Amino acid sequence: MSAEQAVQPRVGCVVETGGRIVFDLVSKSAEGRQLLLRLRPKKGQPEKVVHVLDLEPADDGGRQAVLDPNTVLVEGRWDVYLVREPEAERQRLRPGLRDLRALVDGHRRDWEAPLAVRVPYATADGYLAVRSWLRPAHAEVDGVTITDRSTTVGARLHGASLEAGAAVCLRLRSGDGLVREVEPRVEEDGRSFSFTVDHGELAGGHGVWDVFVRPAAQAPLVRVARLLDDVAGRQEVFVYPTTTVNGVGVRPCYTADNDLSVEVKKAG
Amino acid sequence: MKISFLIHNAYGIGGTITTTFNLAHALAERHEVEVVSVLRHREHPNLTLDPRVSLRPLVDLRQDKEHALHLRPAKVFPSAEYRYRQYSELTDQRIGEWIAATDADVVIGTRPGLNVHLALQAPPHVVRIGQEHLTLDNHPPRLRTVLRRAYRRLDVLTTVTEADAAAYRRKMLLPGVRVEALPNSVPDPVLPAADGSAKVVVAAGRLVPVKRYDLLIEAFAAVAAEHPDWQLRIYGKGEERDRLRKLIGDLKLWNNVFLMGAATPMEAEWVKGSIGAAASNFEPFGMTIVEAMRCGLPVVSTDCPYGPGEIIKDGVDGRLVPVGDPDAFGAALLELVRDDERRRRMRGAALENARRFAPGPVVEQAERLLSEAVVARRAGRAVVQDRTGVHRVLVSQGFAARDAAFAAAGNARRLVRKGQR
Repeated sequence: MSAEQAVQPRVGCVVETGGRIVFDLVSKSAEGRQLLLRLRPKKGQPEKVVHVLDLEPADDGGRQAVLDPNTVLVEGRWDVYLVREPEAERQRLRPGLRDLRALVDGHRRDWEAPLAVRVPYATADGYLAVRSWLRPAHAEVDGVTITDRSTTVGARLHGASLEAGAAVCLRLRSGDGLVREVEPRVEEDGRSFSFTVDHGELAGGHGVWDVFVRPAAQAPLVRVARLLDDVAGRQEVFVYPTTTVNGVGVRPCYTADNDLSVEVKKAG
Repeated sequence: MKISFLIHNAYGIGGTITTTFNLAHALAERHEVEVVSVLRHREHPNLTLDPRVSLRPLVDLRQDKEHALHLRPAKVFPSAEYRYRQYSELTDQRIGEWIAATDADVVIGTRPGLNVHLALQAPPHVVRIGQEHLTLDNHPPRLRTVLRRAYRRLDVLTTVTEADAAAYRRKMLLPGVRVEALPNSVPDPVLPAADGSAKVVVAAGRLVPVKRYDLLIEAFAAVAAEHPDWQLRIYGKGEERDRLRKLIGDLKLWNNVFLMGAATPMEAEWVKGSIGAAASNFEPFGMTIVEAMRCGLPVVSTDCPYGPGEIIKDGVDGRLVPVGDPDAFGAALLELVRDDERRRRMRGAALENARRFAPGPVVEQAERLLSEAVVARRAGRAVVQDRTGVHRVLVSQGFAARDAAFAAAGNARRLVRKGQR
C-alpha cells in the first residue's frame, strides 16, 4: 500500500430520518479539528461559500461532525475536506460507508418548505461530496407511464398546493421561449397530481423540454424533479425508453440535477 | 507463519479478490501476510487492503505491456487456463523467480494456473495450498487433464463448497493431497442490519449472462404488478447492461427496476433493502448471498450448482427455487413481499445462520489447515494419510481417461478447423 493512500482518510456518514447527517472520521490516525464543506464553484470561478463543522470525540473513539437539518446549504455540490490545524492545508476526504437508508422512502413523506434535501455521494473521482437542493417548493415525480402516443407523469407537490389555474409547463431550453402547457389532473388533497404530454405536441421542437408546474394562476413555477430518495444522480439509473413519432424520438429523462425533462431528437 | 497469496490481479474487482483480501486481513491478526499480484494495471487496488498486509505486484502492465517477453506466450502457465492470454514468458519468469526466492512458509494460489505454478515451482520448504474458486465440473477437459497431474504436488486443495470438494475427491486421484471445502468469509458488517421494512429487493454482481438478471427482472414483473411500491435494485456493471435496460423497457418496469451501477463496498446498499435476490444458472460459491444475509436480508436464490444450496436453508433464512424458472422465482419473491412477519422472521434466521461465514470460524479453519500442512511438510509426510481404495483409483482413472479423450477430441477439432481456414 502506498503512503499516499494510507494517509488519505475516509469519512463515513449516516443520514438520520430527520435529515441530520453525522459524519464519522474512519481513520483513527486522522486527527482533525474540523470538517469543511465547500460549495463547488463553476469551472474557472473562485470558491465563495464554505461551511465548517466541528469534529467532536465520538463514542467509538473516532471523531464525529454533525450537519444539522436547520443549517442552510445552498443548492449545489459540496466537497468535504478535513482541517487538521487552524492554518493547515485542508485535505479532501474519501468516502467511507454512507448509510442513507433513511432517505430511500423520502418520497412517501410530506416535506416542509423550503425544501432542503442533502444526499452524500461519491464523486466520479472517488471523493465524498454532498449533493444539496434548496427549493421554496418542489414537485416530486412518482410513476411515469409511457405509451406510443403520450407520457403521463404522476407527481406530488411539496411546499405548495395546487389551486385553480394550475398548469404544467414544458419549456424548450434555448428555444426562444417556446412553451407548451397542459392541464394537470389534481387529486382532492391539492398535492398529488398527474399530467399527460402528447408526444406529437413536442415533436416540433427539437431539444430538451424542461418540466415545471405552476400551482396557481399567478404563482411562480415549480420545477418537476425527483429528489426525495437516496440517489444523488439518477441520469443513468432512472432511464425511460424512447418513443418514436414521425421520425422523432421522444424520451423523458432526468438532468444532472435530477430535474425532469423531455428530450426530443431525430430518431435513429 | 508467513503466508503469501498469489493472485491474478489484486487491483481489479471480483469475488476472488474480495475473498482473498478478507482472508488476508483476518490472517494478518496473527501472521505475516503478503498478497502477490501477478498483474497490475493501476496505482491503487479498487478494494482497500489492510495496511498490515503487504502488496507486491510482479508485472506492471503500465510499464511491461510491450516488454519483449510479455509478447511471447507462457510456457509454465497452462494454455488450457481461462486467463492464458494474459500470461506470458514474462509472467512465467517473474512468478518463477518470486517463488524460488520466497521466505514464506505457505503460499496460497488462487486460481488453477497459479496453482500449477505453485505445484511445479515452489521450493521444498514451502507449503503449497491451491484454492479453487471455480468448480471442477465446469473446467474444460483439457484443463482438468493438466490439473489432474499438477495438483498431485500440492499439499492442500481447497474448494469453496462441499459439493466441489466431493467432485475433486471422486474424479481426481490426488494421493496425499488434503481436499477440503473452505467457504469464503464475509467480514462482520459495520452498519446496523436491515430492519426488514424497506420495500426494496437488492441484487449485486457483474452484469453477465450466467447471473440471469434477465430472469430476475422478468420474475420481478409479478411483484411490481401486485405491489407497485416495491423496487428491484441491481448493482454491478458488465456486458449485459444495455440488453437488461431494453428488457426493463419492454416489460414497462422502468418505475420499479433500476440498474444502479457498481457499488463497492455493497454493505450500505444491502441495508437499504429487505430481500436479496440471486438468479444465477451457476454459482461456484455465492458471495453476494452471504453478504446480503449478514446484512439481515433473507435471499431468494436459484438452487444452482453449487453454492446457494450450501448457504441458504430453504424456507428458513431464504428461498431456493429451480434454475431458469421466472414464475417460480417471482412466486418466491412475492411470498416474502406479501408477508411482513415471515420476512422479518427470515431476516433473523439469515443473520444468525450466516454467522458461520464470519471471518472468525472460517479463519480458524484456514489456520488449522495451514498449520497442519506446515507441520506435515516439515515432517516430510502428506497432510493426510492416503486412504484411497482400489475403487476410487478405478473411478478417478475413468474420469481421467474421459477428460483425456475429450481433450484429444478438442485438439483434433481445433486442428480440423485450422485446416479449413
